[in-house]
Amino acid sequence: MKDKLKKTYDWIDSRVQLGDLVHFMSKKYVPVHSRSIWYYFGGVSLFFFIIQVITGILLLFYYKGSSDLAYESIRFVMSKVQFGWLIRSIHSWSANLFILSVFIHMFSVFFEKSYRRPREITWVTGAFMFFLALAFGFSGYLLPWNELAYFATKVGTDIVGAVPFIGETLKYFLRGGDDVTGATLSRFFGFHVALFPGIFTFLLIIHLLLIQRQGISEPMHFKDLDKSEKKTMPFFPNFMLRDLLLWLVVLNVLAILAVFFPAELGLKANPLASAPAGIQPEWYFLFMFQTLKLLPAHVLFIEGEVLGVLLFGLAGLLWLLVPFWDTKSSKGQQNRFINYIGIFSVLFIICLTIIGWVLK
Amino acid sequence: MKLIPKIKLITFYLFLFLAQYSFGAEDQCLTCHQALEDEPSKLFIEDVHYKAGLSCKSCHGGNSNSDDMEIAMSKAEGFFGVPSLNKISETCSKCHSDAAYMKKYNPKIQTGQFENLKASVHGKLSLDGRGMMIQCITCHNAHGIKKVNDSRSPVYPTNVPQTCNKCHGNASFMQSYNPSISVDQLTKYRTSVHGVLNSQGNSMVAQCASCHGSHEIFTSKDVRSKVYKLNIPSTCSQCHSDKEYMKDFHIPTDQFEKFQKSVHGKAVFEKQDLSAPVCNDCHGNHGATPPGIESISKVCGSCHALNAELFSASPHKKAFDEKKYPECETCHGNHEILIAQDKLLGVGEDAICLKCHSEKENQKGYFIAKEMKKLTDSLIVSDSLAKQLIFQAEQKGMDVEEIKFKLREIHQARLEARTIVHSFNEAKFKEITTKGFQSSNLAITDAKAAIDEFYFRRYGLGVALAIISFLIVILFLYIKKIEKNKSL
Repeated sequence: MKDKLKKTYDWIDSRVQLGDLVHFMSKKYVPVHSRSIWYYFGGVSLFFFIIQVITGILLLFYYKGSSDLAYESIRFVMSKVQFGWLIRSIHSWSANLFILSVFIHMFSVFFEKSYRRPREITWVTGAFMFFLALAFGFSGYLLPWNELAYFATKVGTDIVGAVPFIGETLKYFLRGGDDVTGATLSRFFGFHVALFPGIFTFLLIIHLLLIQRQGISEPMHFKDLDKSEKKTMPFFPNFMLRDLLLWLVVLNVLAILAVFFPAELGLKANPLASAPAGIQPEWYFLFMFQTLKLLPAHVLFIEGEVLGVLLFGLAGLLWLLVPFWDTKSSKGQQNRFINYIGIFSVLFIICLTIIGWVLK
Repeated sequence: MKLIPKIKLITFYLFLFLAQYSFGAEDQCLTCHQALEDEPSKLFIEDVHYKAGLSCKSCHGGNSNSDDMEIAMSKAEGFFGVPSLNKISETCSKCHSDAAYMKKYNPKIQTGQFENLKASVHGKLSLDGRGMMIQCITCHNAHGIKKVNDSRSPVYPTNVPQTCNKCHGNASFMQSYNPSISVDQLTKYRTSVHGVLNSQGNSMVAQCASCHGSHEIFTSKDVRSKVYKLNIPSTCSQCHSDKEYMKDFHIPTDQFEKFQKSVHGKAVFEKQDLSAPVCNDCHGNHGATPPGIESISKVCGSCHALNAELFSASPHKKAFDEKKYPECETCHGNHEILIAQDKLLGVGEDAICLKCHSEKENQKGYFIAKEMKKLTDSLIVSDSLAKQLIFQAEQKGMDVEEIKFKLREIHQARLEARTIVHSFNEAKFKEITTKGFQSSNLAITDAKAAIDEFYFRRYGLGVALAIISFLIVILFLYIKKIEKNKSL
């Protein structure tokens, strides 16, 4: 058996020089310190993305992206297709856990200031992937064409319409018309399975290449340590195997969630019906939704909703560009202001999400 | 001698005074018009108002004390002549809407007639747009008005049908208001029990005003109407539930009470169901009559068409006709028709089949009823089992929407079985119940499969977790091993 494996490895190695890659990876080291646990969330996010791609492709075999057939095709997947319920439930849970994992990964990078020079591009690609993950969630939520999805999309696209100057055009573009219809479903389906995965994969490749090229960021206090004092572990196989171990744990959790709490389908969307009471977006949009709800109708001369959208837009932009304005961290200096921003952001997101959930 | 001229003078003045007094007490209008021998004056002396001391002036204005026509009928004296359009009813209402005034004549008299009339369909409709369609005098006459309880009055109960028919029997007149309204109500009424007795002079039986009201009449589509569908049972029961009132007619007075408990009554009173039958749907309205033995199935069949058709083609039809049994009523009753429950079928304690069939008498029907009941009970058990299993599967979080459709098929089969039972044909009954059994078997199989699938998922998860956990342990040990080797 060992001989056969060796032969196969040699066969591939002689053609694509695998040895160089293994040598490269084995020379890479991952810093070991009290906060090393956060390094794993990048890998976990990647794992969830891979699951999304695989289960997404499987769902695509049966899904029909039209308002007449979407709901029925999902019902067919859930009730008739062998393990269809499991695939959809995993896709649904994995989507949520993916976004949660991306949140954790992004904030851990933020607090560690790992975005500092020379990793600005890694941060920017990561931030764009985070926005894309949210877009994945928003577009995918509509695809079952059920009542909740329909009205959540209506509310969500209405908020887009509040963006000054381009809001209405953007809303019209997203909806494919004045209202949420089959045209909206068609284009959301297109975004979800073609446009977003394409862009995401491109960004992911850059992101991963940069990580491999630049190595994993060391914490700031490492610069003050001697080389002998810096604890590290080889990326391959140690870190990769630990990553794999965590992936398996996550897979177990995912399986339990999918079996005990399978994805629901609800009622088919009826554009003529009134919106069900307590309509809310997915949890990862809840803090923004709740903020917009809590804002007064008018703040000085500007509409509350418009102000909220502008503030979130500005916050997103500042977040994306943090490596460029946090020059202190890039110079290796402590920047407590960044920590405060990070703590405020985390508390804001958690509190508003809880308020939104409680006031449902 | 000087005294005599003085006495003459006094006597002359006294004569003048008495003459003036006597002329003043007399209604000069009536005096003159009687001299003219016109119709109004002839009628007026029989008028209830004249007898109560009212004069022409009361309605026409003027000075009834003056024998000078110029003065008596001058505008200065308030004469306004013959009132027209709404002025007619307004003139009547000057007194009849004044409760204090009217109480002097009759403490019990009503005073809301004019307001009621204005709100009624007769008050709202107008032929020329200038006045109400009917005025007080249309029904009560103008100069020969009698009390309502005077048999000469046009609104005396036995005269009411004819009075209403003056307009309602006139097709060309009624067409101006409602081209689709029928004008044969009186003809129909005369065929009814009410109409026959009314024409015989019975003032107690229902006539137009008894059901439609007098001044406050609305169209039957108006919810305020006494003959609005949902109000009809109460309207009929005003008389038919009054034991004292109905004692001379020797008929039961519990119809309303029974109807309230019936499936039809519950639909009417609890669900406000306008499609449910009320009194007139079975008895007719203007031609109200108890349905006869032959016509009962026709009456019920006007809604329960299929049941009636099946019954007519069944062997029971001939038997019932021979024994003069009222068809539907024999099994279902009349006013207190309860929801047709399965217990009515078969040979059990509550089964109505036992009225005629037993193991010894009319045995064939007995055994057919027994078999039908057995099939019905089996279908109920299957239905119940299917529901129970579907509920269990649903509780376990399984998707059972599709299986639930089969429950509808079972329900449909049960409904159809209740209908086809009126054919009293075992083969036809079995055909329907077989459809129900097929659906229930499918539903039970699918529900069991859903429950099995639930456990398969649970066990599958257990196996998957075990394998993955095993891999986790192996991997963990391997990592430990390589890290230990390295540290060595």
